[in-house]
Amino acid sequence: MPGYYDISDILMEDEAVSVAFHVGANGVGLLDPGTETNSVEKGAKIDLPFWLAHELCRRRAVSITIPSCFGQKMKKDVQADAACVDLGTRYPYFYEFGCKLFPLVGDKSIGLFLRHTFANRYKEMLSKSHTASLNAIPKFVLRLSKEEYQLFEAARSSMVEFKKWRVRDLGLMKTTIVGHKRKTDLH
Amino acid sequence: MAGQTDHSISIFSAAEVEFIAEDEMIEIVPNIRMNALNLLCGDFGPFLPQIPCTVPLWLAVALKKRGKCSIRTPDWMSVEKLTQVLEAERESPREFQPLPFHYVEISRLLLDHAHDDIPEVYMVRSLIEDIRNVRFHKVESGLETISGRTHAVKLKNLSAMEVNLVRPFMARVLQAFYKHDSPEMVQQADTSASKRPQVVDRGPRRDLRPR
Repeated sequence: MPGYYDISDILMEDEAVSVAFHVGANGVGLLDPGTETNSVEKGAKIDLPFWLAHELCRRRAVSITIPSCFGQKMKKDVQADAACVDLGTRYPYFYEFGCKLFPLVGDKSIGLFLRHTFANRYKEMLSKSHTASLNAIPKFVLRLSKEEYQLFEAARSSMVEFKKWRVRDLGLMKTTIVGHKRKTDLH
Repeated sequence: MAGQTDHSISIFSAAEVEFIAEDEMIEIVPNIRMNALNLLCGDFGPFLPQIPCTVPLWLAVALKKRGKCSIRTPDWMSVEKLTQVLEAERESPREFQPLPFHYVEISRLLLDHAHDDIPEVYMVRSLIEDIRNVRFHKVESGLETISGRTHAVKLKNLSAMEVNLVRPFMARVLQAFYKHDSPEMVQQADTSASKRPQVVDRGPRRDLRPR
């Protein structure tokens, strides 16, 4: 897992999760917009950033409820068509978040769900990422989570570099390299 | 994990692979007389006009640029051989045909600098392009079958440039699948999909961490 200094890890831990407090807490009424006194009641439901929820969960002060991105609706979406689910704008840290969340929450099916989603989206991504050109950003790129985007970038940049190397020094002879149009080409 | 946040996971650039390919030996026919060259990588005998000799590719291209030799095409680059290879590639959807390891780079260098020495140069160029396309599509279709069970992906007879092309992507994909498929996360046994000969599963899964 990426470590302490990783930027995307830090950003990812800023996601909000809904927690239920087991114990009362004094002096942190800031967290709950609804209280009059400067404290949190036992049993209150509050949204905390993940890094805070993680620590409190380890000390057994709260219990984390599964956020909506791993809930039933998402599972139905993924079953319908995994590749169309828009992870880029809604949950860019989908996979990393799931991996971190998994040991804390009682639901064991998250791990399998993550893997299933990834495997399905991967197939779609494979062919498209290799044939994408430098300028045109296909629409589906906006739907990728951060991790998937790195994969896509790796494939695309190596492909583009190879193409540049091929036409280097050729100048006018470039037209002889134009190949047949294949069905996986995007344009 | 190392490499997961590394944005430049590709170790070789295309130009560097070409540089390594230039060490391959090739036959030339010099048209000048020159003394023997004693280089670190070997001694290349005295050059006499019209006597063929073997030199590294970089030396051959350098001499050719100065007009001091003509390069003899390697055997595998004839139209008949390439057509055979192309037919065989199209027929077997899973295997790659044996080709010289640096065929992409060698063919590009020769086609650029020595196109008057190659018979039917346009045919050769288009055949090599076709071969490259077919092989690359095979690589892609082989990559589709990677699942969590794959420890390593075996691609036999792949050339240097093709390997370099897929290296960053494949390395990251394998890492991602490993991360998602770690023993703590998968609770039930997975039914393994049909495996193609390209993707080799090295026996039963060995857990790298103690349960």
